[in-house]
Amino acid sequence: MLLEAQAVSKAFGSFFAVRQADLCVDEGEVVGLIGPNGAGKSTFFNCLAGDTMPTSGKIVFAGQDVTSAPPETHARLGIGRTFQVPATFDEMTVLDNVMVGAYLRHSHHGDARVSALQTIELTGLKAQTNMPARSLGTPGRKRLEIARVLATSPRLMLLDESLAGLTPMELKEAIRLVQKIHEMGVTIVIVEHVMEVIMTLTRRVLAFNQGHVIASGAPEEVVRNEAVIEAYLGRGRHKHRSRST
Amino acid sequence: MLLLQVIVGGLLLGAIYALFSSGLTLIWGMMNFINFAHGEFVMFGMYVSLLVVVWLGGGPAVFGFAAAFALFTLGVFVYFSLIRYVLRGPMLAQILSTFGLALLLRYTAFWIFSANFVSLPQTSLSGIVNIGGVLMPVPQLVAGVIAILLTVGLHLMLTRTKVGSQLLAVSEDRGAAMLMGIKPDHMQALAWGLSAGAAGIAGALMAIAYPWSPSVGETFGLTAFVVVALGGFGSVPGALLAGLIIGLIQALSAFWFGPIYKDIVVYALFVALLWLRPQGLMGKA
Amino acid sequence: MVAAAGPDGQSVKIPGPTPTILLAAGLLAYPLVFSGPFYLDIGVTFLLAAISASAWNIVGGYAGQVSVGHAMFFGLGAYAPLLCYTLFGWAPIAGIPFGIAFSIALAVAIGIPTFRLTGHYFSMATIAVAELIRIYFGTWDLVGAAIGLQGPARARDWWDLTFRSEVPYYYIFLAVLAILLRVTFMIEQRRFGYYLRAIKAGERAARSLGVPVQQTKIRALTLSAAFTSLAGSLYSVKTGFVDPESGFGILVSVQMVIIAALGGAGRLYGPLVGALILIPLQTTTNTWFGGGGTGLTFILYGGIIVLIARYEPGGVFELWDRAAPRRWRRKHAA
Repeated sequence: MLLEAQAVSKAFGSFFAVRQADLCVDEGEVVGLIGPNGAGKSTFFNCLAGDTMPTSGKIVFAGQDVTSAPPETHARLGIGRTFQVPATFDEMTVLDNVMVGAYLRHSHHGDARVSALQTIELTGLKAQTNMPARSLGTPGRKRLEIARVLATSPRLMLLDESLAGLTPMELKEAIRLVQKIHEMGVTIVIVEHVMEVIMTLTRRVLAFNQGHVIASGAPEEVVRNEAVIEAYLGRGRHKHRSRST
Repeated sequence: MLLLQVIVGGLLLGAIYALFSSGLTLIWGMMNFINFAHGEFVMFGMYVSLLVVVWLGGGPAVFGFAAAFALFTLGVFVYFSLIRYVLRGPMLAQILSTFGLALLLRYTAFWIFSANFVSLPQTSLSGIVNIGGVLMPVPQLVAGVIAILLTVGLHLMLTRTKVGSQLLAVSEDRGAAMLMGIKPDHMQALAWGLSAGAAGIAGALMAIAYPWSPSVGETFGLTAFVVVALGGFGSVPGALLAGLIIGLIQALSAFWFGPIYKDIVVYALFVALLWLRPQGLMGKA
Repeated sequence: MVAAAGPDGQSVKIPGPTPTILLAAGLLAYPLVFSGPFYLDIGVTFLLAAISASAWNIVGGYAGQVSVGHAMFFGLGAYAPLLCYTLFGWAPIAGIPFGIAFSIALAVAIGIPTFRLTGHYFSMATIAVAELIRIYFGTWDLVGAAIGLQGPARARDWWDLTFRSEVPYYYIFLAVLAILLRVTFMIEQRRFGYYLRAIKAGERAARSLGVPVQQTKIRALTLSAAFTSLAGSLYSVKTGFVDPESGFGILVSVQMVIIAALGGAGRLYGPLVGALILIPLQTTTNTWFGGGGTGLTFILYGGIIVLIARYEPGGVFELWDRAAPRRWRRKHAA
C-alpha cells in the first residue's frame, strides 16, 4: 500500500467539499478519479498533496502519516502533483523550470542540470529547452508541469487534468508519455474528464460525487454504474432510460 | 472623570478610524489588494474640506459632500488608470503602485500646503457639551457620531442592497459573478470609489475636530492597516470594532505614557498582531 | 559574451568576463579621471546607493518579497558603529558586526510570522517596523534621541577611518559592492537562487516541488538585511553622523526600492543601472529644486515608482530585453 487515505473530509465553513473519502493505491498502479465538476476531486487531490489540510481523516504514504504535513514534505517523500490550471514559472525558461524540480534530488548545480536535461528529453520538450515557459501554449505548459514534477523523482504522481484540452494528436502523445512514466515505475493517480484517458491508462477507477466516493472498480464497470451516470447527467436521464426499457 | 473623558475622546477618534479603515478593508476583501495610499486619501479629504471652506465658505455639510465626491472620483480614476493593470501583474508592481501613489500624493500636498499644521476656521459646530459630567467638544462628538453612522451605513449598503451584493459577489467569486452578468471591472472601480469616498468623508470629519498637516496621511495609513488587521481583513463590522479599540488604546497610551507613544503603541500592536493572530478578531487572513 | 557549445550541443552564450571587466575597470578608474570633490562625492553616493539597492534586490527583486521598510536594517547598521564609539570609545568599524547581528535578528523576527501570510503582510510589516524604530529612536536618549550620534571628530588612529579625502572611502565601498555582486552572482547560479526565483514566480507550485519556501524567504531576508546593515555602517562611518531620519527615514527605504526597480529588480546589475540613472538625476534635481528639494524629489520618486509599476515592473533591463528578444533568448541560455 503506497498511498492510503482513510475517511478524509475537508470542510470550508459548513460546506463539506470532501466527505469521508477513502483511497488505496498500491505501488505501480494507475488509478483514475472521475466525477462531475464540483465533486471534490481537486480538493481531495489537494489533501493528498498536502496543499490543503483535511478537516478529519488520515493520509498515509509509504508508511508515514502525512495528514498534516506541508506540500514540501510530501514532495520530499516522493509525492508529486500537477495543477489543474498549469502553474509553471512563466518568467523562467523551460530548463530553469525543470531544474527547480531537479534540485530537490540534486543539490549541485551541474547534477541538477544534467537531470533536468534528461527529463526534458524524455518528455519531448527538447526543442523548447531555452524558451520562456510563458511562450508555450497551454498543452506545452501542461507537459512542462509533468516534466518539472518528474524531475523530482516521485514515487507517486498526482495528475490533475493534465491531459485536458488537447487535440487528438496531442492526446495520443500525452497518453504515451504517461505510460512511459508509469513504465519507469511511477505510481499514478489521475483526475480526468477525458474518457479515452481513463479507459486507456487506468486499471482502477474511483468515481466522486458531492465529496464522496460513490463507485470504484474497473473502468468499464464504473463508467456504466448507474449512480455514476446519474451524478454526471442528473436524475432525468435515468428516468428516461427506465421508461424506454 | 479625566480618564472617562480620555476614553470617550479615544472612542470618538476611533470611530473616524473605523470609517476610513472600512474603505481599506473593502478593497482588501474584494481584491486581496492593499492600498498603501489610503492614508493619503484621508489627508486629501481634509485639504479638500479646507479649500471648500476657504474658497466657497461652505459649512460642514458642503465640504463633507465635496470631500466625498472628490475622493470618490479620485478612487475611480486611480482604479481605471493604475490598479486595473497591476492587479494582474507581479507583486512588485502591486506594492509599488500604491506605494508610489502615496509618495506622489503626500509630497504634492507638502509642496502645495507646506508642512505646517492647519485647522479649519470655526464652523457652526463649536463649543463644549457636558454629558453626565464628561466634557466633550462638539466638533469631536459630532464627527465621531457621524463616523459611526456612516460606517454602519456602509455595512448595510454592502449587505442589504443590490449593489452591495454585487460587490460582494465579485469578491467571492469573480468568474461566477461574470456569468451572472455582473461586470467585475465596474464593481471593482465602484469599490475603489467607495473606499476613497469613505476616506474622504472621514478626512472631512477629522478636519472638523483636529488640526493636521500632510504628514498625517502616513500615520493614518498605518493606523488603517492596524485596524484592518485587528478587525479582520474584509470585515466592515470588524473594522468598526477594531477602530474603536485602536482609538481607545491610543488615547490611553497618550494619557499614561505621553503623546509620543500613541503611534508607537499602535505600530507595536500591529506587529504583535502579525505574530499572534493575523486573522484578527473576525475575518479571513 | 562568450560563445560555447553546451552539453546539449546547442550554441550557448555564457556571460563572459568582458562586460564585468569593463565595468570593473570603469569603476576602478573613475576617481583617477574624475578627481574633483564634487565628482568623488557623486561616486561615493552612487556606490552606497548601489550597495543598498543590491542588498534589497536579494529579497525584493529575486524572491519578490517587497520590503518598503529596509531602512530598518540600514539604520541599525548606521547606529551600531557610532554607538560603540559613543559608549565605549571603540573605533566605529568595531561596531559593524553588532549592526549586522541586530539586523539579522530583526529579519528573523519579522520573517517568521509574516512570510506565512500573503506578500502584502510582509510589506506592511516592513513599513510599520521601520517607522516604529524610527520614532522610538527619536525618543531614546541612549542613541541620542532626535539629535542622533556622531563619530570621532578627528582620527585618533588609522582604525577610525576618518579620511580627509573621499578616495579611500570610494575604494572601500567599491570593494564591498564587488563582494555583494559576487555573492549575488553565486546565488543566481545555485539552488538557492533558483528557489528564490521559483518563489517569486509561483509559491504554491514551488512548494509542490519541495522548495522550503518559508526557510528560503527567511534566508534571503537575513542575507539582505546583513548587507543592508553593512551599507548603513559604511554610511555612518564615512559621514560620522546619524540620526533617526538619516538612518531609518522613509527616503532611505524608498531610494533602495526605486533604484532596484528602475534598473531591474531580480537582475544582477539592475540596481547598479538604477543607481547610475538615479543618482546623477537626484543630484541634478537637488540643484534645480534647491537643497530642501526633498519635497520635489519625493514627488519625482513617487511618479517614477508609479510609472514603473504601471508600465514596466521589470525596469530598464526588461525594457532592454523586450526590445531585443533574440538577444534575450541567447543570454538566458543556461
